Amino acid sequence: MKDKKKIIFNSLTYIFLIGFTLISLYPIINVFTISIRPGDKLLSTSLAIIPENASFDAYAALFSDKPFLLWMWNSFLVSAVVTLTGVALASTAGYALSRFEFIGKKLSMLGILTTQMFPATMLLLPMYIMLIKLELINSYFGLIIVYSATALPFCVWQMKGFYDTIPFSLEESARIDGCNRWQAFYKIIFPLAAPALVITALFSFMTAWSEYIVAAQVIQDTNLYTLPLGLKSFESRLGTEWGLYAAASLIVSIPVVTLFIFLSKWLVSGLTLGSVKG
Amino acid sequence: MNFNRIRIAFLLFFLSLLSTNCSEQNNKDEILIWHTMRPEETAILQEQLDEFMSENPGVTVTQVFQETEKMRSDFIVASIGGYGPDLVYGPADQIGPFSEIDVLRPMNDLFNSQYLSNFDSKALIYVNGHLLQIADKLGNHLTLVYNKKLVPTPPKSSGELIDIGKKLTIDQNNDGRIDQYGLVWNYTEPYFFIPFLTGFGGWVLDSANFPTLNTPEMVNALRFIQDLRDKYKIIPNEADYEVSDALFKEGKAAMIINGDWSWSGYGAAGIDYGISPLPMIDATGKYCSPTVAPKGYSINKNVSPDKIYLIKKLLEKIFEPANQIKTALATKTLPTRKEVFADSAVINDPILINSKKQIDLGTALPIITEMRAIWNAMRPVYQAALSGNISPEKAAAEMQKNTLKNIKDLRESYDDPVGGLIVQILLIAIVVVSIFMLRRSISAFFSNLKKDGLAYIFALPALIVMVAVIFYPFAYNIVISFSNMNLSHMKDWSIVGFVQYVNVFREPQFYSIFLKTIVWTTINVTFHVVIGVSLALLLNKNLPGSKIFRVLLILPWAIPQYIVALTWRGMFNYEYGAINLLISNFLFMSPVEWLKSPMEAFVAVIITNIWLGFPFMMIIALGGLQSIPQELYEAADIDGAKWFHKLKNITIPLIRPVMLPAITLGVIWTFNSINVVWLVSNAGEPSDKTHILVSYVYKAAFNFYRYGFAAAFSMVIFLILLAFGVTFLRKTRATESVY
Repeated sequence: MKDKKKIIFNSLTYIFLIGFTLISLYPIINVFTISIRPGDKLLSTSLAIIPENASFDAYAALFSDKPFLLWMWNSFLVSAVVTLTGVALASTAGYALSRFEFIGKKLSMLGILTTQMFPATMLLLPMYIMLIKLELINSYFGLIIVYSATALPFCVWQMKGFYDTIPFSLEESARIDGCNRWQAFYKIIFPLAAPALVITALFSFMTAWSEYIVAAQVIQDTNLYTLPLGLKSFESRLGTEWGLYAAASLIVSIPVVTLFIFLSKWLVSGLTLGSVKG
Repeated sequence: MNFNRIRIAFLLFFLSLLSTNCSEQNNKDEILIWHTMRPEETAILQEQLDEFMSENPGVTVTQVFQETEKMRSDFIVASIGGYGPDLVYGPADQIGPFSEIDVLRPMNDLFNSQYLSNFDSKALIYVNGHLLQIADKLGNHLTLVYNKKLVPTPPKSSGELIDIGKKLTIDQNNDGRIDQYGLVWNYTEPYFFIPFLTGFGGWVLDSANFPTLNTPEMVNALRFIQDLRDKYKIIPNEADYEVSDALFKEGKAAMIINGDWSWSGYGAAGIDYGISPLPMIDATGKYCSPTVAPKGYSINKNVSPDKIYLIKKLLEKIFEPANQIKTALATKTLPTRKEVFADSAVINDPILINSKKQIDLGTALPIITEMRAIWNAMRPVYQAALSGNISPEKAAAEMQKNTLKNIKDLRESYDDPVGGLIVQILLIAIVVVSIFMLRRSISAFFSNLKKDGLAYIFALPALIVMVAVIFYPFAYNIVISFSNMNLSHMKDWSIVGFVQYVNVFREPQFYSIFLKTIVWTTINVTFHVVIGVSLALLLNKNLPGSKIFRVLLILPWAIPQYIVALTWRGMFNYEYGAINLLISNFLFMSPVEWLKSPMEAFVAVIITNIWLGFPFMMIIALGGLQSIPQELYEAADIDGAKWFHKLKNITIPLIRPVMLPAITLGVIWTFNSINVVWLVSNAGEPSDKTHILVSYVYKAAFNFYRYGFAAAFSMVIFLILLAFGVTFLRKTRATESVY
């Protein structure tokens, strides 16, 4: 009786998952079709997944005619630093906001949120003036600071939320065992927050990996181009090289997926009720 | 984890960053060009630049592609700030705003009249006697492109166009769906409608640059387009640029109206195509006359005198006849030097020759900034007329009315020294009062510094990074929102008080768009969270194969938004889109006109955005579920709890702290997210009915240069969200700890 119920429940789960996976994949399969369709057509009147005269020329052209690997490396460099900065600053700030009572705490919490509230399009112009004045044009440093500031509000809040679910008693017992506050944080709590760190890392990485608008203002030197800037150069009003664009879009998502697979390992927490008692 | 290794990695990264910082602006051997060229044009420009650099050792010329709108605003801002690229390349209509704001260096002194006499007079753009742009390409004009296999001789008149069109619009298998159209083009866009307006004898401006949209000619032209679709049935019901392009490239359309930028693509797609001037309208005896615009180079006002000779040399290089011939033959655009027109290679190119014929019949696109006001006023009304929501007569009157309002907005000029003074005093007072009120907190802060030391060490770095980036832009916007900064007061703006705020609330559309934004945000975030959490719960059961599903389900998040959003737009196409085929073939319902009616278009945008956003919530929920100790479920099982009791009493309360930040920020981001709306609805189509608040601000700021108004509008959005944030946090107690 119970087994039968379980089988039905599991089958329903699979049906739901498969349904959503198909919905997720279909538009992406369309992008793949564009990438192998000759003639730079975004749309087609046919729904065939493999178009007539399909070819992988666009993929070959990306690597032979365009400095695609250079863009990829540049983007990787920027994204990696933003990820490290995001994880380092958000894990500590989130901890302070979760565990300490200090003056300005509530103001900071709200303040962090308010940075996301003003329409970004209007912040861009003065930000551009600021970056020019600080001579941060054509420097990854400027880009990284802006990206970190973009990613941090979510990361800090998200870390704070996760720390909130970890019982205080863990640190208390660590303190009794002779750890100071810093040690209690980084030996006990930090490793337990692994799932939240994974999300912080992924989010920071994505913020930097796919950002175009700020990059277009900061980076003027083609040798420093990041991926989104490279991708945009295939595009023009009413004349985009759709084959290249689609191929590049698919390749661009591979590192994100790889990173996710790699980080998934830590998306499982070791937190159990038992650890509180121990 | 090995912290030493992480520390070393950190150090290495920061070192590598220092070495990439090579910003040396204003180097006199370096020239920077911003342009809006197509990829194939860019390739030829790069060849010419390489040649120039090898002839001039030590000189570096860099070309950077920019989006048209972004280039305009960035160039204005950079140039006012004393920076910017040395050369800026684009269509002549950008000279309008550039010259008004005075960011270009006239070239009269650089090139003598003998040199300039080599150019077609259309290629030299003068404003008040200043030579501000020299074009290297003429055109940007629409012509009739025909598939030679289907159309042996192109139509010369509107009657012939309709006859050929009727003959070639065919339903081959009699299934009620047209398999081949006589004519396709992006006819819902006013720019693509202008040739018919001119063909019927109308034009958008009179000789004094006053708009002339409410005319019988406009009404006739509107009716003609409607007839092509409804009476003669030779054009598709729904056709945007990409659909038309695809139909012609697949040989499923006999003729297309498109510009010089598109032709080489048709050849590449294997279509044997010909170019012909647009037909004559029988009723008037006038030829359809498309707009013609030169494209060329202008010099930034900030270029230093010791660099100008080099820039002159570069321009002369680019304008060399041999280079112009090469560019013309490769990109099928017309050159600007007179002697090149006589070159046999150009004369013998049938495409270029017919293109030249069309240009001679064309109308020069005025370079005044008011053109913006006209396009923006025309688009929504024009589309409403096409969809039959208003009569052509009413549409013409409405266009005129809206254009006049737009021009008034564009030229708004406020001067209110009293209001300005009040605001200045108020701003200072707010700062003083807040310092006074916070003085106790501030002194407490310093006395508690030691006690709370670790907390500050932990919290401050992140706070400092955020404040450093946001503070100046934010403060700047607050000040600007009280000012009259716009096209006429770009450099000499002054504080004028609350005028712009009053304007925001007076904007008749504000309230309906606000309501729509709330609907948009609520539906999106609800679906993101429900779908995301449900999937996470199912994945968390760790059934066999879960890991594969987990990876596949994040794909919508991982892929660049731009192309999938446009793919979704294609999927919503009435005739060829996957969604309508699904609806009609499997659900046996009649297909939906997704992109033509406001309600359906809004639904389409929301569906796309839900698709893009659920993986993010799913990942957050997956992370949140990990913090729930398994023992709690085991204990519940022993008590015999049902699954929804476990969901209600264990899962939801325990993932709440992790989900709340994501939901709060999800609301804020969705409220302010512009990309998907812009891409799927093609900038607010139909008829500007799919806008949300931010896309409205975007239009005000970037189309009309109304920076003061846009800043005030943004402040209103900010205050709305702030009110939401404070209430939401208080209600959910998200700032407080759980334990």
